[in-house]
Amino acid sequence: MMDIKLLVNKKPYTLNVDPSERLLDVLRNRLGLIGTKEGCGEGECGACTVIIDGKTVNSCLVLVAQADGCEIITIEGVGNRRSLHPVQKAFVEVGAVQCGFCTPGMVLAAKALLDKNAHPSDDEIGIAMSWLIGTNLSFNEIGYQRTYGNSSWSHHFCDHGLYFVR
Amino acid sequence: MKYFQPRSVSEAVEIAQTSEAAFLAGGTDLVLHIQTGKVQPKALIDLGKISELHEIKETDGYLDIGSMASFAEMGQNKLVFQNAFALWQACQTMGSPQIRNKATLGGNLGNCSPAADGLPPLLALGADVHLISRDGEEIIPLASLLSRTPLMSQETLIRGFRIPQKGLQSGFAKLGRRRALAIARLSVAVAIEVEGTQVGKVSVALGAVSSRAFLGESLCKELSDQKLNEAWIEKGFEEVQRVVRVALGERSSAPYKRVAISGVFREAVASCFPEGGSKA
Repeated sequence: MMDIKLLVNKKPYTLNVDPSERLLDVLRNRLGLIGTKEGCGEGECGACTVIIDGKTVNSCLVLVAQADGCEIITIEGVGNRRSLHPVQKAFVEVGAVQCGFCTPGMVLAAKALLDKNAHPSDDEIGIAMSWLIGTNLSFNEIGYQRTYGNSSWSHHFCDHGLYFVR
Repeated sequence: MKYFQPRSVSEAVEIAQTSEAAFLAGGTDLVLHIQTGKVQPKALIDLGKISELHEIKETDGYLDIGSMASFAEMGQNKLVFQNAFALWQACQTMGSPQIRNKATLGGNLGNCSPAADGLPPLLALGADVHLISRDGEEIIPLASLLSRTPLMSQETLIRGFRIPQKGLQSGFAKLGRRRALAIARLSVAVAIEVEGTQVGKVSVALGAVSSRAFLGESLCKELSDQKLNEAWIEKGFEEVQRVVRVALGERSSAPYKRVAISGVFREAVASCFPEGGSKA
């Protein structure tokens, strides 16, 4: 066991962990942040996406020990019922949520992109969100244009179901 | 399981001697292998906090890339774009953005999957690998290293890679089963000395064909020192198909791959010459 320090959603934690524990499990089971989901558990689906020091990662492929001293943002740190993040608002307005399981990862990927670049091009959006296309057994590539600030949004989202209960 | 987080290369090498430890780079493969029980190291040496291993810089006619440089870092790096375009290209399509943020070039070699996207570009560009162990340092051509079995002892640390700055035109292409997130079913990296319409030395490396990426020696021989034209490409098709036929033998994927390789080869060559002009 070892002691580590994490800053999760701006809150500091000191935890005694087994170094083989995944960040995903610590977030969910120790900190109760169950907005981060486990889908495939092997870095393909992106449902477990969190932001570490400004970069999106699959929390199922990160040992919690690797994140020692890092700042982590989970979906709980993005917005809440009373004050949604603009990306969440946009998702709600256009009905971009189906079963909702992978939505936290999608919102975080979009947020990480916009935090770095307030006016991404369609190509940049395509790259940041590209994993969504490959993620599911079936998917709809639904292009809709959505005004977010001054940038135009074109979104891909998925129509899954089977994948996560496999 | 013990966990070490050394701050320097020498400290990491020291720890590796005294414990039955595995080096942990980005972890996108190793963490999964630990979860599934495929590997059960007694200790991990996390290289993430050794800042010098993350560096990408120019030294004495080489582009030096530290083993802990991530695919995202390399794919956004101007020096990589200018000196190792094939590698830069491979970084754009490897895995997902989340994987690219964690996965490293050193990990790509250490894990040494047949489909490792980073290795064909390094081979084609003539990269050397810098290894460190208690016995000392070794700088060895990647092509020679990949012919060793095992690749290296468990206590050997991959410090980084150096790519000679020869002004080569290089390109990379891969065939996957889908547009994003695909693991390469075939990959080709090409590096060419070009002067006008004349090609000098040509290097072609193939991935996902054999158990490890390799340089197609006969391709280099057949394609070097001649005119760059459609006949040259045709010759390349024939030779690359032959190389794949020999490498795959009777494997079930062989009929598919030995035909598909031509298209991937053409794409890799085309990507050396973006919009018909010279990149440099």
